[in-house]
Amino acid sequence: MIKDSHEIRDPIHVFVRLNTDERKVLDSRPFQRLRHIHQLATTYLLYPGATHRRFEHSLGVMELASRVFDVITAEENIHDQVRDIIPNKDQKTYWRRVLRMAALCHDLGHLPFSHAAETELLPEGWDHERMTGEIIKSEEMEEIWRKMTPPLRSEEIIKVALGPKDAVKLGLELSDWETILSEIITGDTFGVDRMDYLLRDSLHTGVAYGKFDHYRLIDTLRILPKSEGEHDSKEPVLGLTAGGLQSAEALLWARYFMFSQVYFHPVRRIYDIHLMDFLKKWLPNGIFPTDIEDHLAITDNEVIVELRKAAIDSKHPGHIHAKRIIEHKHFKVLYECTPDDREININTGKAIYEAARKKFGAEFVRYDRYPGKGGSQFFPVLHRGKILHSTELSDTLKETPVAATDFVFIDRTYLPDAEKWLEAEHDNIIKLKPPEE
Amino acid sequence: MERLKRSAIVLSLIEHLREKGGWCGETHIQKTTYFLQELLIVPLGFKFILYKHGPYSFDLSDELMAMRADMLVQLKSQQPYGPSIVPGPTSEQLKRLFPKTLEKNKSKVCFVASQLAKYGVADLERIATAFFIANESDISTPTEMATKINKIKPHISMEEALEALETESKLKTEAQELLAV
Repeated sequence: MIKDSHEIRDPIHVFVRLNTDERKVLDSRPFQRLRHIHQLATTYLLYPGATHRRFEHSLGVMELASRVFDVITAEENIHDQVRDIIPNKDQKTYWRRVLRMAALCHDLGHLPFSHAAETELLPEGWDHERMTGEIIKSEEMEEIWRKMTPPLRSEEIIKVALGPKDAVKLGLELSDWETILSEIITGDTFGVDRMDYLLRDSLHTGVAYGKFDHYRLIDTLRILPKSEGEHDSKEPVLGLTAGGLQSAEALLWARYFMFSQVYFHPVRRIYDIHLMDFLKKWLPNGIFPTDIEDHLAITDNEVIVELRKAAIDSKHPGHIHAKRIIEHKHFKVLYECTPDDREININTGKAIYEAARKKFGAEFVRYDRYPGKGGSQFFPVLHRGKILHSTELSDTLKETPVAATDFVFIDRTYLPDAEKWLEAEHDNIIKLKPPEE
Repeated sequence: MERLKRSAIVLSLIEHLREKGGWCGETHIQKTTYFLQELLIVPLGFKFILYKHGPYSFDLSDELMAMRADMLVQLKSQQPYGPSIVPGPTSEQLKRLFPKTLEKNKSKVCFVASQLAKYGVADLERIATAFFIANESDISTPTEMATKINKIKPHISMEEALEALETESKLKTEAQELLAV
């Protein structure tokens, strides 16, 4: 008898299980490509353990998404005010499968080295989410969806995988139910994409801050109205019962710490910039292809091979940038914005960057600013039969900081001179510019 | 529009809403900014979609988070309500940087604040939904429009949809008078 259930060992979730229909997605070319896309781009150059790939992360997201689905749609967990958006039992089975496949496929469109500067490395109007949508509806994947029992509709998988923000770019609108499903994956607070990457990245980088009690957190998740007050919003969102509040606090702080310690580490950020500089020189017209076959043909492996060649070939157009990566001669931090400087001028980083470019030359200075995004600490909490705001119950959540970066980097050969120059000129440069004319 | 310039306008809206006694939670800011951009034609450049309970911009949500990181706004918690967003320690800088932009848009910001600060979130959701659907539809009679709203967003009853359309229509008329000046 042919086995219909397959198990894959996983360092975070112990086992990830999938059936034979789902296994076909796993075996497809677009999914197998994810074995060759690093989850954390060039981070392994400073955290050597961070060599894990999008492949195992996507499996983890599927596993967590179905756990969340089972909890929030269990009859005893459905809040009366949101009951009308939950489908009936037969439909639930269909949507559970859509959710699992959306979770499995949510990263298919990633470029080599994941997020590194994709807006500058794709034609206008393209991003990895659009690429993901194109792959999900490609003939190769459509054939898999059609042969599933029951057959799945690719449009619904795309909507749930991308969420309303990105699906709208493809002309797709989500129902309330589809939006809730997409929040299970991409949600700002309790999305399982984030839960898996925090746990997995924490394990592989060796940075313990990313851990939190995801078992407890998931068990307490519920679909709840935002509020109960007469004039307040009743919009259904993912919230939790009060018993999960400490796990949610731990999740949001884990996110903050991982961003501060790993994702926004200055050396990681400058390697991403050097890689982008290299790719712009190497790729035809400085951009990645959007044709699906061409997309599937290029992974981190091809980029690494080219980087190694370029680093020893002084005539290669990306030679200097490749050398900086391969020989670990990355630029160094000249300036990092502080709260004191920001109180004087919120554009301090940019001002110092512009001045350093003039002083030392544009090719030797880089600027990296990433404004804080995501990680909302506001969600409803079911406490003794009442819906309360999360920040009413948790002082910790009120104080969760926003992680952001604002770095100026300089070629290491100029660093000693540049530091002296900045010490002398700092106060003058960061003076607030005159008001608009 | 340049990022800091649009932050200055959002900040100005927050200040005016607070002056008028408005509760500046994120949903209030989302819906009132939507009216400022789409009804008063202030080119902020936020992309709004019809979300579960009304127009919503993920860009604006990111912008508010970035404004927190820049200390332009901060959170103030007032039980039993959710937190409101208030001007932060660096907010005065923006006023000094963009006096002309703020002056140019002042009447529009004041209009939105004075018209909408009084509403609770649930009302704002309905009025903004009515405006969104009315703007994107060829239907002209209120009953047909209310039917459409009720069909797309079943949590809004026919009666509530009609009421929201009436409010939305009045707002449009008054906004057009302001824009004609």
